[in-house]
Amino acid sequence: MLMRARRSRRPWFLVVPAVALVVVFFVLPYANLLVMSFFMPGKAEPYDAIPTLGNYTSALGDSFQWWILWRTLKLGFLTTLFTLVVGYPLAYNLARAGSKVKGMLLVLLLSPLLVGVVVRSFGWMVLLADNGLINSIVKHWGLAPHGLKLMYNEFGVLVGTVHIYLPFMVLSLSGALENIPPDLELAARSLGASFTKAFWRIVFPLSLPGVFAGCLLVFVLAVSSYVIPVLLGGFKVITTPLLVVQTAVDVHNWPGAAAQAVILFATSLACIGLYFKLMNRAMRGLSA
Amino acid sequence: MSRRYGRLARAAFLALIALLYVFLIAPIVIVVVASLNAGRFLVFPPDGLSLQWYVKFMNSGPFVRSFLFSLRLAALTTVITTVIGTAAALYVVRHARRNNALRMLLVAPLQLPGIMTSLALLIFYYAIGLGGTSYLGLLIGHVVVCTPYAFLTVAAVLYNFDRSLEEAARSLGAGSVTAFRRITLPIIKGGVIAGAVFSFITSFDQFPISLLLSGVGTTTLPIQVFDYLRFSFDPTAAAVGTVNILITLGVVIMTERLVGLESLYLGGRQ
Repeated sequence: MLMRARRSRRPWFLVVPAVALVVVFFVLPYANLLVMSFFMPGKAEPYDAIPTLGNYTSALGDSFQWWILWRTLKLGFLTTLFTLVVGYPLAYNLARAGSKVKGMLLVLLLSPLLVGVVVRSFGWMVLLADNGLINSIVKHWGLAPHGLKLMYNEFGVLVGTVHIYLPFMVLSLSGALENIPPDLELAARSLGASFTKAFWRIVFPLSLPGVFAGCLLVFVLAVSSYVIPVLLGGFKVITTPLLVVQTAVDVHNWPGAAAQAVILFATSLACIGLYFKLMNRAMRGLSA
Repeated sequence: MSRRYGRLARAAFLALIALLYVFLIAPIVIVVVASLNAGRFLVFPPDGLSLQWYVKFMNSGPFVRSFLFSLRLAALTTVITTVIGTAAALYVVRHARRNNALRMLLVAPLQLPGIMTSLALLIFYYAIGLGGTSYLGLLIGHVVVCTPYAFLTVAAVLYNFDRSLEEAARSLGAGSVTAFRRITLPIIKGGVIAGAVFSFITSFDQFPISLLLSGVGTTTLPIQVFDYLRFSFDPTAAAVGTVNILITLGVVIMTERLVGLESLYLGGRQ
């Protein structure tokens, strides 16, 4: 009797450590960050517990910060676009590969993910620097005697972010593409549709959920990336995450940094909301 | 005619795919090549081979210290997250399958940017008096961002677990601990190992969390490398990066031998 009663009870103690961890060291800190954004920046202490809207008014009244936010969103959008364009062929190839080849392709695709972001950025620095490999080849062959400016600008940052977030896009896309039976495409082809037509009329529309998920994921990751803009932008391409860290660590203005972080979150949420709306309309248009 | 055109298009497509994989792998291969390069910069034509950057790495106190520190931190993080994550997965899959709120809470640390989590933790530690940069604070930060990986990979395996096996063991007289140890654990082993691997690599390569939470004496390897690269270009970083890559490769190959890479892929996608 006792055994049965005990067995039917849920062993909630299993989940308590994980929930406690996330609540105490994740939810509470973010709640604290939100509260902090309404405090006064302190003089001796990092903040004074006096409520104010000043952090928001000064952040929102600063045209420089708006411009940085705009650049952050622009880079996020471009990263998403390029990973989609580059990732689609990769995902299509992966989804249609035999199981043996697929294992190898997965290793190639996932291995960059497993190497730290600092090491990967360094790899790009070796390639893109003014006296890096690409420039040395270009100069050696006399293609551009003064070399190309490939790093410490938005181009370098974009190369880095596209490279880093590409595997996420490919995995999202190939998940959706794998669920489309190849027979559908073959049927369209056998009925006389060209490859291009079969692709745009059958495969691409059916893969839209994957496109949708992949773009969302990459955009969210890209607007908050920190290492790439620092190392490949060389403090010349300031984005909002950089500004937040600078305000918190160098200026030691925690409430100001918190407000900037909240503004970034709010803006990306607004972008995501807009995106959902557009995407819903696109999906409806397809099903009609 | 059209068949030849089709074959040509297919060849062009495969060439494009090959080129894209080169793009993916290039920066990693280039780090290895740069670490073996004699000159300060990798140029064309190359300067020749040398192991001097490895010697510099071995003789550099800060690099070696932070390397060993990162290994220890990642190992401890992995042990904690694997236990917490596996326990949580057992509960969620078996007793709260439809509890989406609980599942979302547990994977929440994956959804928000690490650098913001790092900042939030830094401020929070100060508020609760844990101090800005302590070893405990850094460890907790790593555990927070790694636990979802352990949880997700174990949960992915548990979803396909046939509970009647465990019930059969119980009905034949095995206690719940014995049934778990002899039946459940061997079956979900793959997921647990995959989760541990993800945790280890995520912690060892962790950057944003460590950036704001590591201080004097608790500098992790990625932070040490970053500090070097921020203002100058030092090929010692290439040697460090290569060692980092080799460790990751070793861990991945070990996983492949033990459980197959598919489980990493499936686990990560749940």
